[in-house]
Amino acid sequence: MSHDYKAVQWTPFKKRFDRWMLIGIAVYLILFIVLGGIFQPPGESIQPVQAVIRATGTLAFLLLTFILCIGPLARLTDRFKPFLYNRRHLGVTTFLIALVHAALVIMWYHGFSETNPLVSVFISNPRYDSLAGFPFEVLGLVALIILFLMAATSHDFWNANLGPGTWKALHMGVYVAYALLIAHVALGAIQFEKSPVYVALLAAGASVVTALHLGTGLATLGKRDRAETDGWLKVAAVADMEDARAKIVRPADGEAIAVFRDGSQVTAVSNVCRHQGGPLGEGKIVDGCITCPWHGFQYRMEDGQSPPPFTEKIATYATRIVEGVVYVNPDPNPPGTPQAPSEIGADA
Amino acid sequence: MKRAHRKNHLLIWLLLGPAMFAIIILAVLNRPDAVVNDRLPDSLTQEAR
Repeated sequence: MSHDYKAVQWTPFKKRFDRWMLIGIAVYLILFIVLGGIFQPPGESIQPVQAVIRATGTLAFLLLTFILCIGPLARLTDRFKPFLYNRRHLGVTTFLIALVHAALVIMWYHGFSETNPLVSVFISNPRYDSLAGFPFEVLGLVALIILFLMAATSHDFWNANLGPGTWKALHMGVYVAYALLIAHVALGAIQFEKSPVYVALLAAGASVVTALHLGTGLATLGKRDRAETDGWLKVAAVADMEDARAKIVRPADGEAIAVFRDGSQVTAVSNVCRHQGGPLGEGKIVDGCITCPWHGFQYRMEDGQSPPPFTEKIATYATRIVEGVVYVNPDPNPPGTPQAPSEIGADA
Repeated sequence: MKRAHRKNHLLIWLLLGPAMFAIIILAVLNRPDAVVNDRLPDSLTQEAR
């Protein structure tokens, strides 16, 4: 959490995750290069550096595709929440792999002329009016610049100083980077590689990412819970509320509300985490605190305040239980306001 | 995510999704049958074929 800044907030889990991530990357690169050499089509000859260019290019594409799937998948199943927790490390690693790919391409294909290699990327192929001959490298370079901005501002320092809203808006640029990457591959590798595997991989990546994001987005579009006559919102029957978990309700106005059950008590807080806007209602109660599923930010149930020394606060809401059904008042209390929980079994 | 971000997120994918598929389809339909360097003399490209 954010009372001071460290380069990386290491935990044993993060270390284990990064170790397996690096092993996976090394295995992929070695297998791609070795198998690529063994199954090389007759008559085709590629230099070792070209093999590394292809290996890093395909790996960066696959990793970015996976990264963009993590968010929607984590909303569908808890199995992907550990990846969500470590998505930043995966994102920065993807940028570094893409950087190696770009550096090798620029050195290998543009480094032997008198023109500055970076300038050469932009001027060596001026066929911007041709689809088949489009200077696809420029698309990749723009995507790389966006990934650099993501990686450079991935630290909580930037999130805190830009504000979660601006930070989130900035990081949505990764979607544009992915579309540029799709165009980069479609107008580049797909034009030269006749194997249908590349087309299939590209189409599958674009399909899965688009379907997941549109699917989860449309699932909550226009979804509003209708208030009862006295303005309170029905949440669920007590029996349907899982312990240490929440039900999310969406009032007609304002942000969604997460209504948690902790043993015999029910409390309600804003569904929006102060850190990066994570969906608190998809998290759970850990050590008596509501814990965000994205990065583990915590809030006390009784007042929506992060435990000391942290200072984040979220809005609380009044709840009540009538005939075994939980209701919430959609008018928020100011962030950090103590709110007595409703006791299960104490209702009329 | 805040409600406003959810809307923007959806809007972005409603635009990017079809755009990505359009690019892939156009790129596949327009790719050349064989890689030809049209700056080479005909005799050389014929010989290469």
